[in-house]
Amino acid sequence: MRKRRWFGMALAAAALWAIIMEPSAWAKILGVQGTSFQLVAKQDRITLGDGDSVVMWGFALGDGRMQYPGPTLIVNQGDTITVSLKNALPATAGNVSILFPGHDVAASGGVAGVLTQEAPPDGTTTVTYTFTAGKPGTYVYHSGTRPDLQVEMGLLGVIVVRPTNPTPNSDCPPVPDGHNAGPNPSLCTGTKFAYNHSDTAYDREFLMVMTDMDPRVHRLVEFGRMNEIDTTSFFQTVWFANGRNFPDTIANAQVPWLPTQPYNALFLMHPGERILVRMATLGRDPHPLHFHGNHVRVIAKDGRLLSSSSGKGPDLSYERYTVVVNPGETVDAIFTWTGALMGWDIYGHAPGDDLAPYEFVADHGANFPVILPSRDDVVFGLLYSGSPFLGGEGSLPPEHAGLNVGGGFFYMWHSHTEKELANNNIFPGGLITFLGVVPWDVPLEAE
Amino acid sequence: MKPRSAWGIAALVLVGLFVGAWPCLAQLNLMVQCPADTDGIDADGDGNPANDIVCKHITAGDGFVTMADGTVMYTFGFSEVPDGTPPGQVFALRQVKSELPGPTIVLREGQELYLNLTNVGMINRPDLFDTHSVHWHGIPNSGSIFDGLPESAPTVKIGATFPYYYATLGKEGTYFYHCHVEVVEHMQMGMIAHIYVLPRQDQDTALKNSGSPPFVGFAYNDGDGSTGYHVSKALQLAGFDSRFHAQHIAIQNLPFAQLSDDYHFINGRGYPDTVNPNPLGASPENNGHFSQPMDTRIQANQGERILLRVHNISTTHLFTVRVLGIPMRVVGLDGKLLRNGSRDLFYETSSLTIGGGQAADLLLDTTGVEPGTYFFYTTNLDDLINGQQERGGIMTEIVVCPPSGCGV
Repeated sequence: MRKRRWFGMALAAAALWAIIMEPSAWAKILGVQGTSFQLVAKQDRITLGDGDSVVMWGFALGDGRMQYPGPTLIVNQGDTITVSLKNALPATAGNVSILFPGHDVAASGGVAGVLTQEAPPDGTTTVTYTFTAGKPGTYVYHSGTRPDLQVEMGLLGVIVVRPTNPTPNSDCPPVPDGHNAGPNPSLCTGTKFAYNHSDTAYDREFLMVMTDMDPRVHRLVEFGRMNEIDTTSFFQTVWFANGRNFPDTIANAQVPWLPTQPYNALFLMHPGERILVRMATLGRDPHPLHFHGNHVRVIAKDGRLLSSSSGKGPDLSYERYTVVVNPGETVDAIFTWTGALMGWDIYGHAPGDDLAPYEFVADHGANFPVILPSRDDVVFGLLYSGSPFLGGEGSLPPEHAGLNVGGGFFYMWHSHTEKELANNNIFPGGLITFLGVVPWDVPLEAE
Repeated sequence: MKPRSAWGIAALVLVGLFVGAWPCLAQLNLMVQCPADTDGIDADGDGNPANDIVCKHITAGDGFVTMADGTVMYTFGFSEVPDGTPPGQVFALRQVKSELPGPTIVLREGQELYLNLTNVGMINRPDLFDTHSVHWHGIPNSGSIFDGLPESAPTVKIGATFPYYYATLGKEGTYFYHCHVEVVEHMQMGMIAHIYVLPRQDQDTALKNSGSPPFVGFAYNDGDGSTGYHVSKALQLAGFDSRFHAQHIAIQNLPFAQLSDDYHFINGRGYPDTVNPNPLGASPENNGHFSQPMDTRIQANQGERILLRVHNISTTHLFTVRVLGIPMRVVGLDGKLLRNGSRDLFYETSSLTIGGGQAADLLLDTTGVEPGTYFFYTTNLDDLINGQQERGGIMTEIVVCPPSGCGV
């Protein structure tokens, strides 16, 4: 396993270098905004983390290529949303449809299916789904026709509904107790609220769509052996974050070598920023997503704020270090990190130095508590800067790739059903991605 | 060069064999870091200003455990080095001695932990040169240098020692630690252990006396005694895939894709070993050392509250757990009191699903519960097995005694 592991990391290396050098590459939520969307179901291929290439069925925007997951539809609360669907899949795929859980949908056109109107695989018939995006939050959409096969094949995606009335609130608390102030121009202006309450304000938002795959099914589809497909014996061996396996998860978004997997999942933030993590699982199994670095506060499920009554905000929210997201479910959570109560100055300051933005004041100037072993005694991770301090840069051994240019702290966000951290038999892979906390002097694109 | 005795040469040869590539003990880095607590501040509030620094020395290596059906499995594991062990003995004494779970670490909030990890190598797999680490799973606001991720931190080679440091103020609650190197393999192989932090509130005698009988402690700093308990037990739910372990000791490719546990256990033991009060697992393969020292039989007197600190660290399974016959209240999740501001989010339930990497603090109230034996078990009935042996796996017994106790 060891050689393969470093091979995998080497793959990531080139990508990550580019990420550090090119701030526009980090994973804000890419998607398509509007009120009217033309989706076409198409067959294409994706690349797995072990180098395999598999046939997929997925949603494309109009004339574009299909993508996995489907286009993230970003809409505003209150808008009437129209999604039209055509089916350009091979005839053996049969009809296709879309379900929008959490929304009251009117469907027209095409042919009647069990759950909704369906588009036959003729490439021309249009089914139209119309609904009002009544409440803000994170939602999924997926095939409603033979979903045991079609969701596995990739006919799935996410809808983000933005709140219409995010009233700024003077109570908005950008600086937690015990911390130095910091630059935070956007947090409480009302432009970045997950829901209509200031306690759901965020600086950056990320999407984490978790899916799984049994590649045997895709091979049978590829070779047209449809009558041999047995979805009751499903056994997944590949796991995805935003349609990619680690280490592709931390490569740039929209890289040309992953044309049908445009979304990445490398998350970057500054200390003290509030990160909205929109999680969704589609597929067969629940995924316990573990957050290295800190707890998250779970504020909503399935597009509904965890609130005791209107106006109270997420007063039923709670903190977790691992969040299980069940198939079909969405969870919204807020993450932040300052390094508070570490017991040592994470910036390596002397007592008289200036405070960093959002620095935990009580630890300012506190000594690093241990003597680190010599470089001969340890192996440096590729995301270790050579220094234990945030923004620090230490000497690195000659063979080290030096990926962590800004001296960030990198935290793995991954499934804690640990077997999901593999691409088939190759570790590491699967449902792994990273959050990087980078010092404020490393610029991140305003969102 | 000084003449050496035959014994000395023999010892060197043996050490050379044991440590593989390391030619000489003098080159091993066994430096244990443990500063004295001389600041005069009583950080944990227990009245003693000189006991706020906790030092541990653990090793990471390999060994063998014995499952409840008698199957011996090859494992990796942590093991604690007793105080006073001469540095020259660390390797000789600690190799081939896994413990499942690894050494339990209990801290008082406010204490600082210096956790020294020595990699003693996997002597049954001399082809491996893996590093090891400690990941304190879930600790709030972790620093990546002490997070144990091989991607973002240094991890320690065979023959060397890495000092992990953790401050615990504001971090009371139920956690666990595991190795994060080659994490699927090393966790599946058994590098998993308890760590939890007792709240500062445990120093509040008046609040303890508000319980009837007086509480022994609290799960969290609740301010009102609502998480007070009389008996507590830490339960680690996990499992092994016997094929993975067999392939491992046979030095064959590891079946990651097919991984699925067929042995399930609490604190390293499947039922009925869970209720065996003796230390278990002293197989010849494990050099006669007990590999599974912790039983999980729980006993309380009627009217007492039992705190169960439960976590799931299986690499393949989620578990739903149940206690039949005793009301169960969820008071904490993942190291946090289940409360938002002044609003309690506690709830009573007869089952709770705990995914891999999750923890729950469950309070069982035996008030009015008839004396007798009750069961804590997983309702995932497939997981009540020790390999081919049924009525095993994740199950243990809770004995409720009369208010006056069960006698001697």
